[in-house]
Amino acid sequence: METVNGAALRMTAIRKTFPGVVALDGVDLELNPGEVHALVGENGAGKSTLAQIAFGTLRADSGTVAARGTVGLVHQHFQLVGRLRVWQNVLLGREPRSGLRIDAAAAHRAVRDLAERNGLEIDPDAFVDELPVAARQRVELLRELYRNPSVLLLDEPTAALAPAEIDRFFATVTTLAREGTAVLVVTHKLAEVVAYTQRVSVLRRGKMVARFETAATSVDEIARAMVGGDLPAIAARQSVELQPCVKLTGVSAGEGASAVSRVTFDVRGGEIVGIAGVEGNGQNAIADAIAGMIPFHGSIEVPRTGIVPQDRHLEALVLGWSIVDNAVLGRQHALRRGAVVDRARARSDAASIVSRFDLRATSVDAPVRTLSGGNQQKLVVGRALIDDPPFVLAYQPTRGIDVGAATLVGSRLIEARNAGAGVLLISFDLDEIFALADRILVLYRGAIVGEFSSAGADRARIGRLMAGAAA
Amino acid sequence: MIRTAFRSAGALGGPAGAILLAFALAAVAMLIAGVSPLDGFSALFLGSLGGRSQLAETLVQTTALLFPALGVCVAFRAGLFNIGAEGQLLIGGLAAGALGAHLNVPAPLAAIALFAAGIAGGGLWGALAGWLRAKFSASEIISTLMLNFIAFSVASYLVSGPLKASAASGAQTAPLAPGAWLPILVPGTRLSVALLVALACAVALLWTLNRTVFGYELRASGEAPEAARRNGVNMARMTVLALTLSGAIAGAGGAAIVGGVLHRFNTQLSPGYGYTAIAVALVGDLHPLWICAAAFGFGILESGGLAMQALADVPKDAIHVIEGLIVLVLAARRYIATRAEAVPL
Repeated sequence: METVNGAALRMTAIRKTFPGVVALDGVDLELNPGEVHALVGENGAGKSTLAQIAFGTLRADSGTVAARGTVGLVHQHFQLVGRLRVWQNVLLGREPRSGLRIDAAAAHRAVRDLAERNGLEIDPDAFVDELPVAARQRVELLRELYRNPSVLLLDEPTAALAPAEIDRFFATVTTLAREGTAVLVVTHKLAEVVAYTQRVSVLRRGKMVARFETAATSVDEIARAMVGGDLPAIAARQSVELQPCVKLTGVSAGEGASAVSRVTFDVRGGEIVGIAGVEGNGQNAIADAIAGMIPFHGSIEVPRTGIVPQDRHLEALVLGWSIVDNAVLGRQHALRRGAVVDRARARSDAASIVSRFDLRATSVDAPVRTLSGGNQQKLVVGRALIDDPPFVLAYQPTRGIDVGAATLVGSRLIEARNAGAGVLLISFDLDEIFALADRILVLYRGAIVGEFSSAGADRARIGRLMAGAAA
Repeated sequence: MIRTAFRSAGALGGPAGAILLAFALAAVAMLIAGVSPLDGFSALFLGSLGGRSQLAETLVQTTALLFPALGVCVAFRAGLFNIGAEGQLLIGGLAAGALGAHLNVPAPLAAIALFAAGIAGGGLWGALAGWLRAKFSASEIISTLMLNFIAFSVASYLVSGPLKASAASGAQTAPLAPGAWLPILVPGTRLSVALLVALACAVALLWTLNRTVFGYELRASGEAPEAARRNGVNMARMTVLALTLSGAIAGAGGAAIVGGVLHRFNTQLSPGYGYTAIAVALVGDLHPLWICAAAFGFGILESGGLAMQALADVPKDAIHVIEGLIVLVLAARRYIATRAEAVPL
């Protein structure tokens, strides 16, 4: 990599503490113009904190940050105004003016040109909340590019993208880098690191523990550096006698493009059924109908269900509450003793989730907000499994969490299956499906368009079915 | 400079610092108005805490604020902006007054009957807003506010018509028989057992919110409605229940004033307790016990305000300026605090 002009971003001896935790301790990071640099680490390792310090939303306790030019940050959780149009989002706060009014024509032109120049296909007039996830991502990216950053930070940029979209996204990123931008990709997905970046920095518990030239390393080596040893293997599948468990017959639910129409399938006790598909093809309708959150036609037979919802912040947790109080949510009637909540049991349940899932927290009374995403997810999955439900509905159970946490969550789901529970796994991530499912259903535009036994399933063919090709 | 002032106010110990700062700002206002702040404040505190009868009167005001503030607390904790405590208090008082005029039973029974009537009246008024919200998605902010006006009109009509004491009397219900009055705590003052009822109510509310399944679901629906909805909380039912309970507690306050102070109902029952109660609940951090402390603080202002006017020639309205300043400073403090603590993603 050429570094004639020196680093685009240089962070030296960064230290940052939050009450009770040292988030970063003596971290150095250097980004060169023209490189795509990966920052990897487990949840809670300090990646997001480091990115926020580089961007300026957090201030380091000590250490120096030197950037040449502006720094842009694309957030993992999109920061868009759904009810505004694409161009309004891109220019938010920097609108070209004519007098007191926004110069709409100039604004429009600026966004269109910017999108074309960077090969980002987008309709500037579309409302953001009507766009699919991949397009929203492009809007986020455009908004940062509008400021013409010399350093671009991408926080988990592909968490919600389908395989083809991920390729396209990195093609754009690579072009940007070629034109001189320094790009930092914060990610968990090591396959992407290896495929698309030139250098890798590994954070573990607030310290920079390794740096690799990507060409000279491997997924295994990076993973070992992340967890500080060998990865625990995922739990082994035992052969289980399959029992009837869940049956959907001719189920129609949902509205518009993401509805499902006359879907029929079953999940038997002792198997994990994976629903593969690109986001927005009816996954929400299936999950919500099974959970009883929306009306549906047809019939659904379902036993007591442990639910891992898609969005842990919005649908599963009360972020201001402790681990103990969150361990009660959804089980408040099961934990009822007269009029009151059985607090002794809530505490022991929370403690058992913490130990079974290796949940790292200062105490069970710590607010869930202070936990890293992986630890929050461990709590959500732990709570769904704690009463040994005969059926588990897991929607993206390992979304946005690191390898170690994902392996653990996957192992617990497989153990539930081994114990005879039926598991329905809904995921946009084909890797997750292949790692966990016994049987794969492909969902496209509200219909099941293919069914495979995961042993020996043709990955490319499933990918084509997900994209709507007649296989 | 203002930021520094806010910060040092925070350093002085949270709400206490904010209150001190509000008083400092009020002192500035008094100076501008040409009154010595020293005279003003000494009149305020002597008039509210300077003797047995002054203290008793402050506690009467505390009681009148505490009920509706606890009611507001219930709704706010459930994520519902009930600004209708004034109307709920009024209807509660109306119900107690209408029943009380015909009550001829021993004191303990009468007290229970009066509070039951107040709870039923206020609860009904709260339930109405809850039902509108649950059934028609009508914003409870609008409906509770509008129900305040309806409550006042209904009460005015009833006391000048069907419930009017006699042709000769003004617009008020017939007086309660002295046997039905709430027992007085401190002889020679207006302080009745209603204060104890209000305090018991605060403790019961604390227990309900923190210990019971109902309280757990109520807090969950306030803090994370979508998570609550997806985890077994019937949100429509919770909306109705929370606003009913909220109104019921405020309505008990109406009964307390009718039974303990006025001994009859008229529409001058409340000088705006139901609105001040919102500030009391917020200053009390929506925590029942802190709300008791906040109600006492606002009770001092309410009862000392008259003394300030009489002794130091400070208009009583100045008290509302101080109340407003306290709320503003506290709100600003919270805003600055949340901005200072960025939370890691």
